[in-house]
Amino acid sequence: MVALVPTLLRQELARLAENDARIDGRGRWEGRQITLESDCLYNGEGSAKVVWGDTIIYAGVKFEMRTPWPDRPNEGSLMCSAELRPIAGRKYEPGPPSPESIELSRVVDRGIRESGCIDMEKLCIVPGEKVWGVMIDIHVLSDQGNIFDACALAAITALRTAIVPAERFDVGDDYTLNVKSTPIMASFTRVGGRYVFDASEEEELGGDERIHITLGDEGHLHSLQKGLKGVFTPEEFAEIFDVAQSRCVELRKLVANQEGN
Amino acid sequence: MGGYGDVKLLRDDGLRLDGRKIDEMRPIEIEAGYLPAADGSAWVKHGLNIAVAAVYGPMEAHPRKIQRQDRCVIDVRYNMAPFSTSDRIRPGFNRRSREISKVTAEALESVVICERYPRSKIRVEIEILSAEAGTRCAGITAAAVALADAGIPMRDLLVGVASGKVEGVVVLDLDKAEDNYGQADLPVGILPNTGEIAFLQMDGDLSPDEFNLAMKYNFKAAAEIHEIMVDALKRRYEGGEN
Repeated sequence: MVALVPTLLRQELARLAENDARIDGRGRWEGRQITLESDCLYNGEGSAKVVWGDTIIYAGVKFEMRTPWPDRPNEGSLMCSAELRPIAGRKYEPGPPSPESIELSRVVDRGIRESGCIDMEKLCIVPGEKVWGVMIDIHVLSDQGNIFDACALAAITALRTAIVPAERFDVGDDYTLNVKSTPIMASFTRVGGRYVFDASEEEELGGDERIHITLGDEGHLHSLQKGLKGVFTPEEFAEIFDVAQSRCVELRKLVANQEGN
Repeated sequence: MGGYGDVKLLRDDGLRLDGRKIDEMRPIEIEAGYLPAADGSAWVKHGLNIAVAAVYGPMEAHPRKIQRQDRCVIDVRYNMAPFSTSDRIRPGFNRRSREISKVTAEALESVVICERYPRSKIRVEIEILSAEAGTRCAGITAAAVALADAGIPMRDLLVGVASGKVEGVVVLDLDKAEDNYGQADLPVGILPNTGEIAFLQMDGDLSPDEFNLAMKYNFKAAAEIHEIMVDALKRRYEGGEN
């Protein structure tokens, strides 16, 4: 039963792909509808909710005061952690973090970290003694496909709207966290033999490998990841890389609109 | 309880710091069917608390040793999101959430008609996204609406509600400051139609009379919350979406 359903689904997805069609009627590079909300959690110093199709993600930013690492006395730290809680779907089990949720956390973390959008030295309070630790926690409440892009979008939106709670820690007035850029992730999954943008849960179930691309404001690459079994050609990558450029520009506008509030 | 004692929680006009009367609840909003992936789900905003509950199942109970031949088991996980409180909570198990999960599961097993699903398991996931005192009650209310949304037969809708004592006065539905600096907290799970109690905890100091008054407030509030729960379920199913 478990093996049979994906086999039939795979056949159907392959048949659809021959006519360049998708199971939910979307175009190959067409994403689902996205609703983005920021500052939606009372206790988060920054927060965001993303409803991406039927996928629902919350992200919250918290600040901790800690002692710096001995080799980097003038730098604060950034940590991004995603939890695939068992609430997210029937297939998720309770227990310690699964390899899937660790991969998700690390891919989102790398995109934000490597874009350099946070100046770690600006997170220093007293050199060698006190620095800010910025923690972005991502909570997946409903997985109906493409949680990577939705998590990355929630994380950067929460970060870009975060307020440093300096008053609560007795180190001056609260201020808006300086986030210099908006790294955005776009993910592609091989479905019916060819790549599509923003795979739904059904397409993921009957699909193959996926590629995650995180791009900065200037269109530079900041993080790449290939997940699951499968191979691709440089030509295929060139094609999705072009699509990623335009999708990321659109998604970045969504984040910018939130900050205007 | 915190027991600091010297923090003023009642104003000179007899109202509470947030302007509520002593027997007044914080505002409650409920939405049934919040999560597309779940068999049943609910979103509950109770004051500044936000609880989301999902129900999966009934499904086969694994491992086999947890199966009951004559009924289903209910597996509850109450979890606070790391960003739900003012200091970040480390993700993962802790003793508090395990205890709350256990007694919540037992409360729900007392209202669900478990005999209907022998050898099965019903998974109830409660996630607290925002915590401001009263999360276990918001979680219970959310779980009950989610179970109803999943079509699981129950004897009644379980309602989570709490009363407590601040500055020697019994008050309904403690907020964060009242919970931290008050003298008692009495969270209960009430079956409003039968008048029974399926969930009970308490800490602090209450005289027998104060206890009776707190319970009276709890029953009054449970009837009000019950109406909001029923409304949420009606909106979900009368709208013709399903």
